[in-house]
Amino acid sequence: MGLPVQRTAAWLRAALPLTLALSLAGCGEGSAGADGLEVVPIGFVGPLSGGAAYYGRNVQRGIQMAADEIAESGGFEVEGRRVRFEIVSMDDRYLPYETATAVRRLLQQRRPSVIFVPHAGGIRAVQEININEPKFLLAAYSSEPSILEAENPLTVMLPPRFDGYQEPFVDVMMGRFGQRLGLIPTTTAYGRAWTERVTAEWRRRGGTVGGDHGVDYNTTTDFTGAVSRALADRPDVLFVGGPSQPTALVIRAAREQGFRGGFLVMDQAKFEEMVTIVPMSALEGSIGVYPQEDYPTAGTPFFVESYYGRYGEDFQVPTSEVAITYQAVHLLARAMQLAGTTSDPEAIRARVGEAARGMPEELRIFETDGVTDQGHLVRAVYAAHILNGEFVVVEIPVPAGSVVH
Amino acid sequence: MTLFLQQLVNGVALGSVYSLVALGLTLVYGVLKVPNFAHGALYMAGAYVAFVMLTSLGSGYVVAIVAAVAVVALLGAVMEWVVFRPLEGKSPVHAMIAALGVLFFLEGTADVIWGADFRQVPTPLDGVVSMAGINITEQRLLVVVAAVVTMLALYWLLKRTLIGMSIEAMAQDREGALLVGIDTRRVALVTFALSGVLAAIAGSLIAPLVLVFPTMGAVIVLKAFVIVILGGMGSVPGAIVGGYLLALAETMAGTYVAFAFSELIAFAMLVLVLVVRPTGLFAKGV
Repeated sequence: MGLPVQRTAAWLRAALPLTLALSLAGCGEGSAGADGLEVVPIGFVGPLSGGAAYYGRNVQRGIQMAADEIAESGGFEVEGRRVRFEIVSMDDRYLPYETATAVRRLLQQRRPSVIFVPHAGGIRAVQEININEPKFLLAAYSSEPSILEAENPLTVMLPPRFDGYQEPFVDVMMGRFGQRLGLIPTTTAYGRAWTERVTAEWRRRGGTVGGDHGVDYNTTTDFTGAVSRALADRPDVLFVGGPSQPTALVIRAAREQGFRGGFLVMDQAKFEEMVTIVPMSALEGSIGVYPQEDYPTAGTPFFVESYYGRYGEDFQVPTSEVAITYQAVHLLARAMQLAGTTSDPEAIRARVGEAARGMPEELRIFETDGVTDQGHLVRAVYAAHILNGEFVVVEIPVPAGSVVH
Repeated sequence: MTLFLQQLVNGVALGSVYSLVALGLTLVYGVLKVPNFAHGALYMAGAYVAFVMLTSLGSGYVVAIVAAVAVVALLGAVMEWVVFRPLEGKSPVHAMIAALGVLFFLEGTADVIWGADFRQVPTPLDGVVSMAGINITEQRLLVVVAAVVTMLALYWLLKRTLIGMSIEAMAQDREGALLVGIDTRRVALVTFALSGVLAAIAGSLIAPLVLVFPTMGAVIVLKAFVIVILGGMGSVPGAIVGGYLLALAETMAGTYVAFAFSELIAFAMLVLVLVVRPTGLFAKGV
């Protein structure tokens, strides 16, 4: 749906590559920085303009924050050399074909051995090129499990898989609120994949599912119509989710129209961002990913302190997008150290699991045991169920059959 | 039945939003024959001015709307003076490209000042009005009322004031207007300022219902274009009727078919109108 909108929008944006080209003209070479540390480029290719810019910059911020920390602490040692990272970013405006083009350009200019890409479409496009010369490690920020099916030996999937959430979410919500599920999710490919799984799981438990009243969260001006329609089926639980802020508008509209049940929230939406739009009371009874600032792990307080120390107390809250990529950069530094190389992606990839297990306490924002053969960085995942205004931890089990190395 | 009535109310509220945005667009098109894509950016600017007034400066809501109107009217006038006036007499393609350029420029400027974050404009009207099982929020009710008031005021301006009649005259026949002694440049300037006023009213009233971010105008301006073509390019009643028609069609199609199709409705209606009545529903005059 919405194809004509997208086409026209794409046409509207046709002027942007020029801006992009101009902003890239400033990139230079140089292997040793002014601080005497050897500079190793790390690539980031993601949306930095347009509607997804907010998301892209969150991911980029995590990468940059870790690189800055490493540089400030005097770099890390690889085979007797002191090394720091330089983050080289390119805008792909969330378009997979732009991702591939930007990656090629990045390889020509700086030849990074690691490139971060924060969306499944772009990741799949890059998986076609990263195993040919010049090879590089693809740090994939997407919870879409299909990126693992490529069996790409140079991919590391950073976030938890989204297919781990539905069982525990349905379990909690059906038990607390009842058998009827209403659907108002976003209609992106990711939203649809989520909807299919949550619907299947809800039915498997004997619940009934109303019609799909999903709308594109990025192009919808007013959610009241879709919400009214979904509420006419008298659901006990509403499945919602897309980017956090529009998700909050959907929740607000549902509460305004008198919905008293709970919200089953897709992992894309974050409670800590939603509470800037709606009061906590509107979220009562919801289930979703645990707010990053209070994630129940040893490394979280260190990360949060460092984040606010760097960006100021009034800055937007750190989400998992920032935290996961932040940890990943530190993880890569350790893997490079263990592998004794900053340029051989295969050697670095081979040490990621070991590096994950040896992370010091202040970097244990997520407890990781290692990497599966397919490249998934397996971690303990926590969700939050909101009860009387408090976040209650719900543990998400590790997918069955995950063998880590 | 309750659902139908509820969706009727929802559709009228959405239609008020659409009409408010489409009005400024159709006005500029009528006078200058410029498809002003930058209208979306004016709408965005209005929302940001209201945001700054209400949050950083702590003003009241009415003051915020007035400030937004003043700032964006000025922005509209400057836009005409700096960008479109030098293009007078050139091919419309130039003006269209310039309009796109202004859109990107203003979006980029907002991005530099406020960042890509989603902002929310607080509203003093956060209650809900319920009657016989039908709900509407106070802010939406305000949008509906304000839209009607704005439309009436615009009608009065166009029909009863000299400058308004000049705008209409110029929309009907630019050369004729020039011949009877109308200062077409001044009228063009005023028209842009007026479109800024309408965009600011729309932006500051709608902002509390939606999210404020640099590209917020790009989506709604496309809808507004569809409405303007639907209603007849340059037609004020066309923009009003087109706005409500589109909103009701989207809401009802969403309710009785599927909301996934509601985005498609706008373009299906567009194709239908272009086939059946290519000049739009209200093609005759302003």
